[in-house]
Amino acid sequence: MSETSATALFRLRCAFVKRGRLAYLGHLEVLHTIERIVRRAGLPFAVTQGFSPHMRAAFSSALPVGTSSEAEYFDLFMTEYIEPERALARLRACAPEDLAPYAVCYLDVRAPALTAAITRVSYRIDLFFRSDAPIDASAIRRALEGLVTDGTIAYVRGKKDKVLDVARLLVSASVEQTGADCCTLLLDTRISNEGSLRPEILVAALDRALEDGPVREGPIVSTGIQDLSAFKRYSVCRTAQYAEDADGSLLSPLRTDETPAAPKSVSSVPSL
Amino acid sequence: MRVAYENRFAELEPLLPRVEKPSRYIDHEWGTLSSSEARYRACLIYPDVYEVGLPNQGIAILYAALNAQEGISCERGYVPWVDMADLMREAGVPLLSLEGAAPVASFDVVGIHIPHEMAATNVLETLDLAGISLLSSERGEDDPLIIAGGPSVYNPEPLAPFIDAFLIGEGEEHIVELCREHERLRDAGASRDEILRRLADIPGTYVPSLYEVRFDEPCTAHGFARPRAGSHAPETIYKRIVADFGATDPVAQSIVPFAQLVHDRLSIEVLRGCARGCRFCQAGMTYRPVRERTSDQIVSAVIAGLEKTGYDEVSLTSLSTTDHSCCREILGRLNARLGDTGTRISIPSQRLDSFGIDMAASVAGEKKGGLTFAPEAGSQRLRDVINKNVTEEDLERATRAGFEAGWRRVKLYFMMGLPQETDEDIVAIAELADRTYELAREVVPPAQRGGISVSVSCSVFIPKASTPFQWCGQLDDAEVKRRQQLLLHSVRNRAVRVHYHDADTSLIEAVLSRGGRDVADIVLGAWKRGARFDAWTEQFSLDAWEQAACAAGLELRSIAQQPYDLVQRLPWEHISTGASRGFFEREYRRALNAQTTADCTRTSCTGCGICPTLGVDNVLVGDRR
Repeated sequence: MSETSATALFRLRCAFVKRGRLAYLGHLEVLHTIERIVRRAGLPFAVTQGFSPHMRAAFSSALPVGTSSEAEYFDLFMTEYIEPERALARLRACAPEDLAPYAVCYLDVRAPALTAAITRVSYRIDLFFRSDAPIDASAIRRALEGLVTDGTIAYVRGKKDKVLDVARLLVSASVEQTGADCCTLLLDTRISNEGSLRPEILVAALDRALEDGPVREGPIVSTGIQDLSAFKRYSVCRTAQYAEDADGSLLSPLRTDETPAAPKSVSSVPSL
Repeated sequence: MRVAYENRFAELEPLLPRVEKPSRYIDHEWGTLSSSEARYRACLIYPDVYEVGLPNQGIAILYAALNAQEGISCERGYVPWVDMADLMREAGVPLLSLEGAAPVASFDVVGIHIPHEMAATNVLETLDLAGISLLSSERGEDDPLIIAGGPSVYNPEPLAPFIDAFLIGEGEEHIVELCREHERLRDAGASRDEILRRLADIPGTYVPSLYEVRFDEPCTAHGFARPRAGSHAPETIYKRIVADFGATDPVAQSIVPFAQLVHDRLSIEVLRGCARGCRFCQAGMTYRPVRERTSDQIVSAVIAGLEKTGYDEVSLTSLSTTDHSCCREILGRLNARLGDTGTRISIPSQRLDSFGIDMAASVAGEKKGGLTFAPEAGSQRLRDVINKNVTEEDLERATRAGFEAGWRRVKLYFMMGLPQETDEDIVAIAELADRTYELAREVVPPAQRGGISVSVSCSVFIPKASTPFQWCGQLDDAEVKRRQQLLLHSVRNRAVRVHYHDADTSLIEAVLSRGGRDVADIVLGAWKRGARFDAWTEQFSLDAWEQAACAAGLELRSIAQQPYDLVQRLPWEHISTGASRGFFEREYRRALNAQTTADCTRTSCTGCGICPTLGVDNVLVGDRR
């Protein structure tokens, strides 16, 4: 754990999960916990220079409180090379199971940051209907088509009026009935500095589209759990994050030099 | 039948998305020690929200001590914030422990930490959410044993009807003895009454139901507690002291939270006790004698604790860390070991001299936050009255050294309403603050003067049990407000910011500090009228307390403000720190004459009586300067 020097730096990228009860952690809480895992693991982390020295680590984009993930990432800058298997084993031994690292790789110190490299994000949303709501997968498919045709969803975040640009941010979506009162929605979305598709806004908009009876007053508000009428509850899981190469193929952040076998998302919405 | 010990997280989970900070309730932190199989289960509760309670070192120590016992499993609990508490009541979910998510009412013993007086209504909130009868007298054979302990049980009477047994003093050995004895009696089929009678035999244990409040001797309006006829409970309960502090594990903490807390760091208790003898200070009496850990023990504990927890900050805690006889050596060794790991070392509260600044500078690095000093009183005369043995020159030297070393922000703590205080003493606070600000302007280079900040924080003096000022009344709250205005108008420099404590909150704190068992009615009444989280300014409402006092036929102001006579037996005199009444009387008289008393770790014994009474001694590992 010596001082950061420009000459000997190693950049370890680590993939980890966020699940179970720990889905309720906020982004800062995850950052903090990962930093403590690294310290407990005794990895030779680099320290920033300057006024307030701290661990050199960088994370992929924030996940909302309550959202789980199968694919979160952080980059750790280290002053020594540690065998990837050993580094992973040490991290896993010092991490709670529900926040466990599961893969690591080294990459070029000068490679783009995670937040710049990652341009595509997939989500799985499990939707549970109220028993009295006459909804099924095809109804949700129709509602989704309507949202895509409309193009945008207006919502309020804090005191700001925002617009979710569905047409631009949603690459594809599929809906599958997974039980009598539930179905699963798979989303393939874009993410960039200009914005990302917040799954809970889409769910809230779907809920309103499915509602029969009078149109609900007031805008959709982006604060944690949504007050829904068609859905009893829902859960959101980030299933994958990808970089894209020049011709648009999806690459795992762990293997930016390779193309995965096939992109997972299958469009079932004809208009997409 | 007792409520079943079972995991009921599934009932809590649907509520999580609806509350602020769900991470308060999810558990699964790194380093929990409880086990799922146990013959005896304890749940320790801090009566405030998770992020306030988790850093508490007392709970960490007891948690480790109990979980180290074969067959005992100890879990933790906190009070759900008002949003969650309301949702839980609505959904019929009882208070759950953290580790096992089991109903608190299913444990054998529930231990409630009493950190300060204002936690009183949260004790009731805890019991009610847990579905346990609020009154000890109404609990049945299946209810858990409710015990309490901590810094604020030296006047236990306002909470007496709610608690089955108080543990007075240091708990790490005491709580294990008590739980073992409880387990034995439980297994032998003893009744609740029998269990309580037997627990009172364990030294340091106060079982309020075995005592009655009497008035047949000179006493205050609140009476005094004596063992009931036929009870063989002790007349005086002396606080417990750990036999060998140096032999206890300095790394008490094991749990690393997810949430970001106020004190989000490793704490290593480097010494216990303070003998400076400030006459208003309850901790200065209750934690005596002074016991220091060795430098080797502290340094290796810090290194081991950081490795175990992954924290990036360590606090060397105690009542007065820079008083440790090896302070310089310890900080030097830690700096050498931790230099390039981005780890911060912090020492709470700076001693008011240049040594204190030296030490603070040695751990501050490039990033200098604020310096905090506590002169407590504005004038030398009043500082002599309260035995705060610092002079104007000490303060000037310390602040000068601080500004020269690069600090720009200084916070000065004072108290208002101290015995013998006059308007001149209030004006002297303003003068001291003004001089500090002018000193800063003089020392700090012109280009950096914009960063200078001097602030004054003025609390209201609360007379506390087992201190030389225990006979004093609190200053009338209207007069407190007048003096606060006087202070505001006496400060000449507009750059000096003045903060003062709410006089209403201080009034209730004094009621709970000075009252007797009769005050318990007010606590219950206030809670029934919605009082909870009284330590949170935005939650506190004097109305609930006023109405409760009125309904109980008591007057808040007279309880807080009526001075007690030296000949009266006080409501808390059955609870003893080991310091003698004679010592308190002598110190009280010396205070009235503005005579100071020395620190016994630097001069000779000052006769407080704790060492001979409890069979203990100061333990220093070097010479104090």
